[in-house]
Amino acid sequence: MSVQRCAVIIVLLLVAVLVTPWSLPLLRAQGVDVFINITSGGSKKLNIAVPEFTVVSGTDSQGAGKQIAAITGADLTFSGLFSVVAATGAIPANNAAALQQSWKEFAAAGAHAALHGLLTIRPDRLDGEMRLYDLTTPEHRLITTKKFDVPGVQGRRLAHKIADEVVLQFTGEPGVADTKIAYVAGPRGAKEIVVADYDGASPVPLTRNGSINLTPVWSPDARSLAYTSYKQGYPDLYRAFPFERRPEQTLAAFVGINTAPAFSPDGKSIAMTLSKDGNPEVYVLTLATGTMRRLTRHAGIDTEPTWAPTGRQLAFISDRTGSPNLYVMDAEGTSVRQLTSGGFHTQPRWSPKGDAIAYTARQGIHDIWLINVDGSNPRRLTGGGGDNQGSTWAPSGRHLAFQSNRNGRWQIMAMLIDGSAQAVITTGAAEATSPSWSPRLP
Amino acid sequence: MATRGSFLVVTSLLVLAAIGSGCAKRPATTQAAAPAPTGTASTMAPSSSQPGGTTATPSGPSMSQPGGGGTATPTPAPAAPAPAARPEVRTFVAVPELQDVFFDFDKYDIRPADTRTLDANAAWLKSNPNHLVLIEGHADERGTNEYNLALGERRAKSTMNYLVSQGVQANRVTIISYGEERPTCMEKSEGCWAKNRRAHFLVKPR
Repeated sequence: MSVQRCAVIIVLLLVAVLVTPWSLPLLRAQGVDVFINITSGGSKKLNIAVPEFTVVSGTDSQGAGKQIAAITGADLTFSGLFSVVAATGAIPANNAAALQQSWKEFAAAGAHAALHGLLTIRPDRLDGEMRLYDLTTPEHRLITTKKFDVPGVQGRRLAHKIADEVVLQFTGEPGVADTKIAYVAGPRGAKEIVVADYDGASPVPLTRNGSINLTPVWSPDARSLAYTSYKQGYPDLYRAFPFERRPEQTLAAFVGINTAPAFSPDGKSIAMTLSKDGNPEVYVLTLATGTMRRLTRHAGIDTEPTWAPTGRQLAFISDRTGSPNLYVMDAEGTSVRQLTSGGFHTQPRWSPKGDAIAYTARQGIHDIWLINVDGSNPRRLTGGGGDNQGSTWAPSGRHLAFQSNRNGRWQIMAMLIDGSAQAVITTGAAEATSPSWSPRLP
Repeated sequence: MATRGSFLVVTSLLVLAAIGSGCAKRPATTQAAAPAPTGTASTMAPSSSQPGGTTATPSGPSMSQPGGGGTATPTPAPAAPAPAARPEVRTFVAVPELQDVFFDFDKYDIRPADTRTLDANAAWLKSNPNHLVLIEGHADERGTNEYNLALGERRAKSTMNYLVSQGVQANRVTIISYGEERPTCMEKSEGCWAKNRRAHFLVKPR
């Protein structure tokens, strides 16, 4: 894309760049033009036209062209980067004049870019192609085109992949629409783990054992989850492989609690809390060897380990000063430093970018906070409505999901990390708690 | 590679469990049993399409082949001497003689007023030496899930330690934490929360 051609968009985005303290200069990464600053949720949005997708082959008896465009549009809206300009009716296939006329009208309506999806529908598979246009240029220049090979008839997944590609084209980093959220569903005493799309669609049970199942967490390759279950009577740790016909593993079934699993960023180890040696302490299990290494040694409660993305440090909580607070230690369990004080601070979750830790602070009710890794600038992200707790990072580090009871029952919600755009993910009647946002799917 | 790793995890845990049991500080609780994987794979969703064109199956080459992982699945074999199982939780029952004790918010020390209850519980257990006891530790719904599991564990442990100090044999006692998962009182009030912050006793004949 020539620089002068997208001058309009760049001017728009410079506004965001200038008002954002962490702004980076315009980048060029992964071979795509980058002209959205992605460090802040409050930056100016790009208006993108997403008309119904065009079916170029096959019969669209189920309205896939409309549905898939709507899902992609919702993904782009969720990203916080785009304002979607929708329209009814699909652009006719293989009709350049109609295409140009549509783009002309969208540009007149204020759209800066346009996404055109092309679908090939067969009984046993659905193929998609996206074409991305720059509407700020007189000729509505084609920015890029990409075909998607999604096995089976997975319209929803195709929609998410297209959205993630659009985000990649404009920011240099893929979106997070092609991800899953695992969570705990059901009332106390009868909790099962469910895996749904990141937007709450297509929930599928991971456990169906009729006991209590808690705190699922994804492995970095998005192929497995670790969780605590009482299915053998006691709170033990298991690992399940939801997409494979592969037996579940028992990770830890020691005397006492076996809880709070956290995969190391390289996926080779799992930090966890065991009380087998007398009281809750943080350990690290090396998966290849089965060796268990103890990291904390203190008479109080030490639990909820969370890894820095470098794998060199972990944060955890301890009540060693009388109430739970956040601490940081290195991966050998040494160099312990206290990060918060005076609080009832739990559920630390180290950000994927490494610079901040989300946690839950209890001040009568619970809210999600963010603190810099050096202990500076604790800031509250939620407030004013019920309890908000149990946060989990999107792989991009731009969103957090969490559980909230602001609407009368526990639901999974998501927000941008400046606390804006809080939206409900799980709309079902069941209580939904303990979300874990997956890495991008392979 | 991954398959071999998982096999190693299971077998190593069995070995670790067997070794670890020898130096457990709590003779009360029997050594950790690492159950072998249940032969039933927890598969999530058939990759067949759903109405509306959605499925839950990602498309990674190694993931989109149902049964692809099955052929490489290790047959778990007990590579270590089978450790003694922890007593089965569901075989324990409550008896009216053993009364609950309660805890302050975010605390796990035994309240002075509750020592009388625990003394009576200890006396009953000493006069019924053929019973094993399971102490459940519970938290109220405030605080957060993972921390409350640790808190419940500490409450059960404090209770156990008190009983042992009163002459109950440690090897008769097993503890379990339910965190905030099994409240007895469901209202959102301090009166209700106070009832949920408890240690509860169950017994069974040896």
